Amino acid sequence: MNTHVKITKSEAADLSRRSFLVGSAAAGLALGYSAVPGLFGSDEALAATAKNFDPSVWYAIGPDGLVTVTVGKADMGQHVASTMAQLISEELGSNWKDMRIQLASNDPKFNDPVLGAQITGGSWSTMMNFDAMSRAGAAGRIALMEAAAGMMGVPAGELTVRDSLITHVKSKKSKSFAEIVKSGKITKTFTPDDLKAIKLKTPDQYTKVGVSVPQLDIPDKTRGAAKYGIDVMLPGMVYGKVVTPPVRYGATVKSVDDSAAKKVPGFIKAVVLDDKTKTTTGWVVAVAKTYTEAQKAADALKITYDGGPNAKLSSQSLFDEAKRLQGLSDSGEFFVKDGDPAAALGSAAKVIEAEYTTNINIHCPMEPMNATAEFTGDILHIYTGNQFATRTGAIAAGAAGIDPKHVVMHQMYLGGGFGRRLDADMTVPAVQAAKAVGKPVKVIYSRENDMTMDFSRPLTYQKVKAGLDGDGKLVALSHDVVSAWPTQRWGIPDFLSPSVDKKGPLDAFTVNGADFFYTVPNHYVRAIKNEMAHEATPSGQLRSVAPGWTFWAVESMIDEIAHAAGKDPAQFRIELLDGKGKNDGGAQRLRNTLLAAMGLAGYGSLKLPKGEGIGVACVSSQERKTASWTACAAHVAVAPSGEVTVKKLTVATDVGTQVNPDGIRAQVEGAALWGLSLALYEKATLKDGGIEQTNFDTYTPLRMSQLPEVTVNVISNGEPATGVGEPAVTVIAPAIGNAVFNAVGARVRGLPITAEAVKAAMKA
Amino acid sequence: MATLNINGRNMSVEAAGDTPLLWVIREQLQMTGTKFGCGAGLCGACTVHVNGEAVRSCQTSVSDAAGKKITTIEGLSAKGEHPLQKAWIAEQVPQCGYCQSGQIMQAASLLAKNSNPSKEEVVAHMDGNLCRCMTYSRIQKAIMRAAADMRTASNAGDRRPT
Repeated sequence: MNTHVKITKSEAADLSRRSFLVGSAAAGLALGYSAVPGLFGSDEALAATAKNFDPSVWYAIGPDGLVTVTVGKADMGQHVASTMAQLISEELGSNWKDMRIQLASNDPKFNDPVLGAQITGGSWSTMMNFDAMSRAGAAGRIALMEAAAGMMGVPAGELTVRDSLITHVKSKKSKSFAEIVKSGKITKTFTPDDLKAIKLKTPDQYTKVGVSVPQLDIPDKTRGAAKYGIDVMLPGMVYGKVVTPPVRYGATVKSVDDSAAKKVPGFIKAVVLDDKTKTTTGWVVAVAKTYTEAQKAADALKITYDGGPNAKLSSQSLFDEAKRLQGLSDSGEFFVKDGDPAAALGSAAKVIEAEYTTNINIHCPMEPMNATAEFTGDILHIYTGNQFATRTGAIAAGAAGIDPKHVVMHQMYLGGGFGRRLDADMTVPAVQAAKAVGKPVKVIYSRENDMTMDFSRPLTYQKVKAGLDGDGKLVALSHDVVSAWPTQRWGIPDFLSPSVDKKGPLDAFTVNGADFFYTVPNHYVRAIKNEMAHEATPSGQLRSVAPGWTFWAVESMIDEIAHAAGKDPAQFRIELLDGKGKNDGGAQRLRNTLLAAMGLAGYGSLKLPKGEGIGVACVSSQERKTASWTACAAHVAVAPSGEVTVKKLTVATDVGTQVNPDGIRAQVEGAALWGLSLALYEKATLKDGGIEQTNFDTYTPLRMSQLPEVTVNVISNGEPATGVGEPAVTVIAPAIGNAVFNAVGARVRGLPITAEAVKAAMKA
Repeated sequence: MATLNINGRNMSVEAAGDTPLLWVIREQLQMTGTKFGCGAGLCGACTVHVNGEAVRSCQTSVSDAAGKKITTIEGLSAKGEHPLQKAWIAEQVPQCGYCQSGQIMQAASLLAKNSNPSKEEVVAHMDGNLCRCMTYSRIQKAIMRAAADMRTASNAGDRRPT
């Protein structure tokens, strides 16, 4: 564990121990969970309200009746702030037109109540905050109703609330939220028990949940008015352009000659980073009065490097090392171990095995990484859009050599996150440059810096072995997953999981998904850390994380097994999703989505011309405990050259409860297209320790002309709300791979699927 | 020192002639709606209009832009109510929103010349603008909606009694 990074532990994430406070403050009515956990008596809570209540907690209602919700989540296009406001508005009874959102600082009081930190990922936000936000809204409504009852002289029980208006039907009296707040006399504390006792609405009473209310952040985003990290302007601010070494990680700066840079107008200083957090290696920042001058100065710096231990490595080295590790019997830790796969494979009538690979992938959100740092007195202010304010604040503090409690993170809109902005690297050059020049500094990566220094989706190698009995039934499956361990890199033990063989903690964010809902009596999954890849290509969480590669292997292999057993691959899946034992519930939901996708795509009924095929896949991404049930039927056409054209993607997903149906469709479609982009168009490679792709000419995400028809079909069955931002990423590649096989009999086992690989497999 | 005509106003800027228009707009004029994406003309996030043509402001120098009529997202319409902006809201297009200024400016240059584009014409015109959130289908729908609205408005105008 890096001693220069101190993650401040949240005292209690357990909301059941928090009181909920409502109090009139200068700016109106403030409402929120108490920042201090503990079993308050109501008197103590009241005292705390009066003395310490901070009106920016969670949400506030102004004298104009506007309700401003403060959200400690990263808004990166999933409109999560709007969704949180929607949950509060539902129970509060406010008019949607009165709702406003603002983004929180890294103050622990805005931490996710369940996770105990500010982190946005895993498609967790809606699922985990549904209850807390609903109760927060309901508590506000109750407090307002009591105040209104007092003002009108009627019993609170006879009041109704609708569109920010509280009405007493019998006397035809009513008070708006604005009028009640203006009266300025509301103080109410809900103990944890009071909160628990609140009866939330039942789905048939919903007026906002399940309705596609317009997302609150969208109008500003059509006018160029939304403020992202890169848009921050501070008085006296100067600009920094990073110069990154040719090696992704492990290089050191030997010398810097700034004689030419000094001739660039506006140049201030070249700062060699001394990054004790070890987030970066061998970086230099050219600081100048404008960004253009900083770029020119950066280009003029003559820097020599020691390439370090990874300077000779390539993608091939990482694959070779992965294969070597997989071959060792004592490698890795077990994530799943059911029955005795070794024995069952030994006695199986038929054994098939296959290797699946994925290459390095780069996040490249449209807003390149950036951060602005300013020291004011003892406080370090960081302005950036970030998905993990809790850890990022700690890294920034480590880079500054100060205590994390002196760091204030100012959250901005994220010009794309996709997991990239869970990382904190952009704060390090900003902090150290600001310190070196004594001015606020905004550091902006060039696209080349952004791509070559990405905390990428790791290169993965997976070996799967399956055993069938004499009836063609799948009786054993062994699955080894070899990769860098992105989440272990964070150095936070809470994010690791114990292994079933008690060999030590493993990074479950490299194997999630491999613990599928198929019933296989003998099944193991082994997580094997590729230390070489871990060091050479520090990896991160890329939209959908492990299920993006585990389901590539599982869902391709299930198809291969079905064909080996002479069965239809979709029917074979349905048989395996029998809902027995630990798979009860999930397997049935997954089966239903598969059946839906099959039906909607015309699986088995549509007559296809030669060279076309439909393939299916179904996934329980993200994690077994937080799954959204998602299936895809992909319809492809394969040319004799091997070129694959995706004609249609039919996606069915069971999300339990929909908060904003239109928002869900946007997320699922975006996720599916990410899946397509990763399946066919995106590939990064390591050579001489560096990422070879530097801009959108060589790393090529999906463009409009490559857009197939996509239909998103949402199953909403009243189960609790699940996450929707990621799962559909993971179902696309295997569905396409299986469709290619269905079309031309070519099995491709590496991502991305290229025309060359398809053509080679057609010949084989 | 150069004078730029941006959104109908003449503004003096102090920058070397080879400075990309993008950075002058963003830093000196503090109009941050125009975005930096790739610095190489590959993504379209920095798209503005110069004399009515959609150009990549990261590839346009200040000296090239001087004396020409420059329009940014902030100046596309006085109140942010260009038919495309309204259509972008109606179709709920933006996700992260970062590329959308560029998308709207690129689309506006199409509709200014062709109020009834085919889907193929839209794709050909928009293919240089990347959206990492992959909002492409909604962008297409919003362009078609705006085009229809503009045609309706213009027809209504034609019918007005003289």
